[in-house]
Amino acid sequence: MNTYDGMSDTDVLSAVRDSLSGIPLAGPPDVEAIMARGRARRHRRLIPGVTGTAAVAAGAALAVTALVPASHQASPVASHPAGRQPAVRLAAWTVTKLADGNISVTIRELKDPAGLQSTLRADGVPASVTFASQQNPECRAYPGGTPSQAPQPLQATALLKRVFPKPYNGLPPLPHPGGARMVPATGRPAAPPSPSPDATVIVIDPSALPGNAGVQLGASGDGDAILTPRVVYVSPQCTGS
Amino acid sequence: MSNEQAEFADFFQASWEPCLRAVVAVVGSPQLAEDQVAEAFAKAWASWRKVRRHPAPKAWVVRTALNTGASWWRRTSREMPLADHDLTAPGDLGDGLDASLLTVLRRLPARQREVIALRIFLDLDTDTIARQLGIEAGTVRMHLSRGVTAMRRELTTTNNHGG
Repeated sequence: MNTYDGMSDTDVLSAVRDSLSGIPLAGPPDVEAIMARGRARRHRRLIPGVTGTAAVAAGAALAVTALVPASHQASPVASHPAGRQPAVRLAAWTVTKLADGNISVTIRELKDPAGLQSTLRADGVPASVTFASQQNPECRAYPGGTPSQAPQPLQATALLKRVFPKPYNGLPPLPHPGGARMVPATGRPAAPPSPSPDATVIVIDPSALPGNAGVQLGASGDGDAILTPRVVYVSPQCTGS
Repeated sequence: MSNEQAEFADFFQASWEPCLRAVVAVVGSPQLAEDQVAEAFAKAWASWRKVRRHPAPKAWVVRTALNTGASWWRRTSREMPLADHDLTAPGDLGDGLDASLLTVLRRLPARQREVIALRIFLDLDTDTIARQLGIEAGTVRMHLSRGVTAMRRELTTTNNHGG
């Protein structure tokens, strides 16, 4: 006798509901954190003309209690380890090691650059990360490691395309919750912006870095903040090694 | 806490679990679903004056969560193609469940899973589901019917094969 023989539609749906209801799920995160995150979104909507840096600062101040960046995830769908934090804590940025050895950086909020910098360095990428308007002055541009400024739009060099294979090959410019905007050096969006552009994704190929080179991720520029990855010389003051 | 904040907090506490279970039913991964639902509630608070007047605010959250997930996935998929990226094996979801049911659910098209999730976890009627998904009521009935039929057929087959 089959358990499901003769079941009505309602019975089948009830069986599905009961089965899914048995899945252990995390309880709700702190509502204050959710509201802070929402306030940051609302605030950004209300100040469209504000400069990127100011928007970043405002967003960070309003969301100060909201988000703690995640460290590594084994993959975009990796199970969290036991005792994982509530999901809301995953939102600021995520560093993911990809199967091909590349490292994917997903930035949803311009927060905790020092934490992101430490995470990248722990993954073996000499890195300098600044989300303020001022780049680290100790960093020296590696030859061919900075998008050319002329002619506009920014053009990627061969080195940039190797080190940052994804954004320079057509990721669309994604408005950042903090006001930053990722500018692919090719300057040509390959796809229309998604309806809910909540993150910027940068992929780094560490094997493409020259031995004396690291990466610099920085938000800078007038008007909208520009989040631009570039290649720099390694140094203790810049990339930590 | 203002009245508006208290109202949202009450909504959040009451709606978190059903919304999360509905999204889990569609995306398969509890972890992914938690991220998406948290983001959707943040968006709900950002637009609370609109959402609080919505005829089905929980459905708004679920739909927003699923849209958010689709947006995230469009970007992630550029990084690492995975088959069944959004689906977690039933065995990963916990013990004591009817794994065959979940396996069958995983095989349904996403739209059928959405319709079923909105029906069973948010208890929405056909017209409301149709409005939420932007499709005709008849299409909702078709998805629901096909989904249930597929599940019943698969379950029958699975049980027969399994003895």
